[in-house]
Amino acid sequence: MKYSNPRIPEGINVGDRHPLRELLTLTGGALLALVFLSLLMGQFGGRLARLLPFEHEVALVPVSMLRSDAGPELQAYLGRLSTRVSEQLDLPPQMQIRLHLDGGDTFNAFATLGGNIVLYRGLLEQLPHENALAMLLAHELAHVRHRDPIVGIGQGVAIQALMGLLIGDLGFAALGSAGLYTQLHYTREMERAADAAALTTVRGIYGHVTGAEDLFRLMQVQRERSGSGEMPAIFSSHPLDRERLQAMADLAREQGWSGAGQTTPLPVAFDAWMKDAASRAASGER
Amino acid sequence: MYELVLLLILLSLGYIVGQYAERRHYRSILDREERLNSLPAIASRYPPSEPHYHQALVTGSTVISVDYFKRFLAALRNLFGGRITAYESLLDRARRESLLRMKQQAAALGASMVFNVKYETASISKGWGNSIGSVEVLAYGTALIAPRDR
Repeated sequence: MKYSNPRIPEGINVGDRHPLRELLTLTGGALLALVFLSLLMGQFGGRLARLLPFEHEVALVPVSMLRSDAGPELQAYLGRLSTRVSEQLDLPPQMQIRLHLDGGDTFNAFATLGGNIVLYRGLLEQLPHENALAMLLAHELAHVRHRDPIVGIGQGVAIQALMGLLIGDLGFAALGSAGLYTQLHYTREMERAADAAALTTVRGIYGHVTGAEDLFRLMQVQRERSGSGEMPAIFSSHPLDRERLQAMADLAREQGWSGAGQTTPLPVAFDAWMKDAASRAASGER
Repeated sequence: MYELVLLLILLSLGYIVGQYAERRHYRSILDREERLNSLPAIASRYPPSEPHYHQALVTGSTVISVDYFKRFLAALRNLFGGRITAYESLLDRARRESLLRMKQQAAALGASMVFNVKYETASISKGWGNSIGSVEVLAYGTALIAPRDR
């Protein structure tokens, strides 16, 4: 009997798919699934968070965290303006707004849990007139009115829980430090809605929308100056400033709101108040 | 961010080095298979009774480890199911290398064929979780050595 081994053609036991192609298909699929699940969880978390009564939201913010560097006159002025904005926005009575002025140079302002709004001197001192300040306040108050901070945190926590389940590191610490979520990221829809509500509010207070868009021009200039330029819309939770300006111009045109009114100047002492806030922040006197 | 960069570095390193080693290994396998083709490895348990061959146990063993790239691919594959093609080539190489080593041993003994060839495989990473992804493939058989006085 003659024994021999035949030559077996290659590629029977080994798949001939290119490993890089396989990598692309698999990572693509995994990312797609992850994005889908994140969106689903985010929606779910946001919906749940919205059910939390506002009174409980207030309890989530440690009082010690928030301070104000504003002098009594500035605080009173901001309070008066925010009351007018609240009335226009038709804020429910239990939604008490608390304004905090940070004397730092940061060019920013944000709304966080429990109706707390933090304004930075770095932004305020660059505002050209009261209309822009009202626009800013109205925008932040609109976030509070829409419950965006708690919804944002609900979404964040739900997505973190998902990631924790998938990756193994449970990030439930986020629950404990929810009040520290000062730099919340809102979705573009939230920003759009806040913009529209804010513009409506400014129209309601002054009878026209002149100067409201100056706030966004200022942001655009600031972003260009800081070197980062405008980030592509998809990377930024704030829709591109130019897009926002356009959206507001469209809204004003649709509603037939006048853009030819007179802007209201800021109080004469405003600059002095800002300097006072800066020195309060520097000296640590609160 | 740092972790992502590290992952990308490890992935590309695993891919480049792993692919280079695999191609080189396959070239070597094909070359040696050609040379040792004259020494058949037969699965049959019944060797020819004539002439009266000397018999010897011959073994060939290969231990292989998975590179980072293949492990990553396999982990992703675990999510969706299907052929883990990344491991197929690795195990194919191990099987053929083991058989070749066995045949080399048989050739050194002056054998004319190897009978009753079998494969065994053992996972070395047992109990170590993901720390070591290694597997041993052992090929063994009975080398038949023709008597010298005939």
